[in-house]
Amino acid sequence: MTTADGHPASRPDADIVDALRGRGLGVGALVFEGALLVALLSALSILLVLLADVVSGALPTFRTRGIGFVLSGLSLSPDTAGVLTGIAGSVTIAAIVVALAFPVGVAAALYLEEYAEEGWGTTLVDTTVRNLAGVPSIVYGLLGLAVFVPLVDRIGLGGVSHGRNVIAAGITMAVLVLPIVIITSAEAIRAVPQTIREAGFGVGATRWEVIRHHVLPSALPGILTGTVLTLARALGETAPLLVIGVATGYFAPPANVGVLERLTGPYTALPVIVFSWSRQTRPEFLETLAPAAIVVLLGVLFTLNGAAVWLRNRHDRRW
Amino acid sequence: MALHDDHHHPHELRHHFDDELDEIRRGLVTLGSLVVANLSRAGSAILENRLDLVGEVRHGDEPIDALYAQLERETFQILALQQPVAKDLRLLVAATRILYEMERSGDLAVNIVNCLDREHGFPRRADLDVLLGRLVAASARVFSMGVEAIASLDENAGPATDSADDEVDELTGRLFTEIHRVSEEIGLDAAIELTRVGRFLERIADHGVNIAENITYVVTGSFPDGHEPPAP
Amino acid sequence: MDTTDLIPEPPIDLRTGGNAPTAPSHDRPAIFEVDGLDVFYGDFHAVQDVTLDIARNEITAFIGPSGCGKSTVLRCFNRMNDLIPTARVEGSVRYHGLDLYGPDVDPVQVRRHVGMVFQRPNPFPKSIYDNVAFGPKIAKYDGDMDALVEASLTKAALWDEVKDKLRDSAYTLSGGQQQRLCIARAIATSPDVLLMDEPASALDPIATLRIEELMYELKEEYSIIIVTHNMQQASRVSDRTAFFNIEVTDGGQRTGRLVEFSETATLFTRPQHPQTEDYITGRFG
Repeated sequence: MTTADGHPASRPDADIVDALRGRGLGVGALVFEGALLVALLSALSILLVLLADVVSGALPTFRTRGIGFVLSGLSLSPDTAGVLTGIAGSVTIAAIVVALAFPVGVAAALYLEEYAEEGWGTTLVDTTVRNLAGVPSIVYGLLGLAVFVPLVDRIGLGGVSHGRNVIAAGITMAVLVLPIVIITSAEAIRAVPQTIREAGFGVGATRWEVIRHHVLPSALPGILTGTVLTLARALGETAPLLVIGVATGYFAPPANVGVLERLTGPYTALPVIVFSWSRQTRPEFLETLAPAAIVVLLGVLFTLNGAAVWLRNRHDRRW
Repeated sequence: MALHDDHHHPHELRHHFDDELDEIRRGLVTLGSLVVANLSRAGSAILENRLDLVGEVRHGDEPIDALYAQLERETFQILALQQPVAKDLRLLVAATRILYEMERSGDLAVNIVNCLDREHGFPRRADLDVLLGRLVAASARVFSMGVEAIASLDENAGPATDSADDEVDELTGRLFTEIHRVSEEIGLDAAIELTRVGRFLERIADHGVNIAENITYVVTGSFPDGHEPPAP
Repeated sequence: MDTTDLIPEPPIDLRTGGNAPTAPSHDRPAIFEVDGLDVFYGDFHAVQDVTLDIARNEITAFIGPSGCGKSTVLRCFNRMNDLIPTARVEGSVRYHGLDLYGPDVDPVQVRRHVGMVFQRPNPFPKSIYDNVAFGPKIAKYDGDMDALVEASLTKAALWDEVKDKLRDSAYTLSGGQQQRLCIARAIATSPDVLLMDEPASALDPIATLRIEELMYELKEEYSIIIVTHNMQQASRVSDRTAFFNIEVTDGGQRTGRLVEFSETATLFTRPQHPQTEDYITGRFG
């Protein structure tokens, strides 16, 4: 359609103005938004109910025992039983995990990302690592029982427990989280912009200098976050520890012995205490002491996560 | 004496380019000075029948042609390589026109001594010589005003030079009248050659006016009223 | 600085390159002589049979459409292509007469002599000072580091802007300043060549002009090769221009070829090859 002077007829201005008037969101969009909100709220409320249940169960213990609950060791009597032995075990396991899984995992990730040439071999390793991350933790427990417990005993760290000690537990947990450390570290390393590497090579840096001065510092916050999250998983695991012979009942750590004896002797961990207390015949253990132990476990986890955030921010803040 | 000294131009950003533009402008002034020098040589030749200067004037046109070709090539190159806009573009476009005006003026100076050469010297008459002398001086002055405008970038150069050219036109008219009056005494050939010389001197002044008007265009962005260059 | 161990000052070859159709004779001695260069990425023949000489203390521009191989050729001058595992280089690239791809040449040393500036400003996430000092530090520079940093920043026309905040993060600088910081960083290892891979493509026009003006000053001391998508930039700053184009071979493979290499003024006013004319006049394909 053209007008008399040959120009195409334009739409009346009013049409365009009408078309621009907003009609807001449609009904479908509103329903969708509502559904998302409901999903979020239900997840949150379940979590809150759980937390409230645990805390309310734990309150009497903390009210009557106070900090003493945290500072006393195992006991057959509900009035004197505490979680200190468990905290000691868990923290020791965590320390061994960090000491083993962090360097080995980061090194493996660096090799995969920075050195290994792409090919079917690398792909195979990568896929295997990802699959290992999904293997049930009980399987790692079996691995620990079959390999690490005898190994620890063989190298003279077996002690009175013949290898069923916190060292074997730490090694097993380190291997358990290693795939996740590798995956998260590799992702953090991959996220370092290629341009930074080019800049490093461009001024005559070797591959190691580029990694040491630029790739690692840039990837460190991501690596740290990933490592601490995996640590939380290691702290919460119970099944592998049960398999490799953690003490589930009462035991008295030998008094007045050195660090080595403590490390090689019987041990327990926070989640194992929760597990064993909930199977005790006396109802106080299940009803008040187990929730209190859970609260302590959660406290340790939150502390660790807080430390992770603090570490990451400290490294981020530099730039 | 940079083109942009008195303006808020990010001067330091393209000083290499600014240097090139200044070089073109300096080259134009040099070329104009060569033309003025050759013109005054031609003037001496016709006023004093200095046939010995004829060869010198012809010879003097060679560096003019050489510099003309060089500046045109450089202007062309800057246009091609530097993407000039606004005042820079006007300067370079004006430069190509000014180059043409100057080169033509140089040729006209040679034409003037050619007239003298053909006559082996003009018949001398006092009244004629006075007019001729004043015309040579006036023409050279108007052309020089154009050259000076390139150096000073005076936006009023166009109108000012145009007014000065009125004297040249008036002197040319009087010279033609006088030649006509004495044509029988000096002979037809001499009269024709002298008329030609007058005509060339007038044209040189016109070129000077055009140069100045182009400078007004460079500075202001438009030609003086009624003096726009003819449409292509 | 102890970076001379790579090149034991070989005799400078004064060959003027008149034997190849695409190599104009130079008034200045060549710093690079490229002869029959072919680059492959796996099976992909990225660049075919490039022969050209790069003159000293000049700015040489590489122009051409995307995929014409100009960046690939640029990255042969400091062996940056080595970082791509599948890359393979044939033919020779001689630097001061020495074959850069010879068996005893260390690419790490090459990159200390042939600096590079990249398309996007890529300062390290470190301080301004540390960005400049990094190259000399890993090269075991044992002179006055503060003086070297100042000299490098001054040459890069950045010193006045950053002298009071050398310990600030490089990321606090504007894009144009970051790119000049990258130039300072490249200069700091005392190279005699600067490779620039579209150094201004991420910058605004004013920052671009600053970089161009800086290049003009730097060529007093360095030989500069710049790859640019912007042919006006090539025409403004360079002394010589090489035009690369994509050629489709009989097998349907696309490969980069050097079409024309001449003085910039000649290339932009009287291009010899119709492809060059089509490209620079915007009548391409």
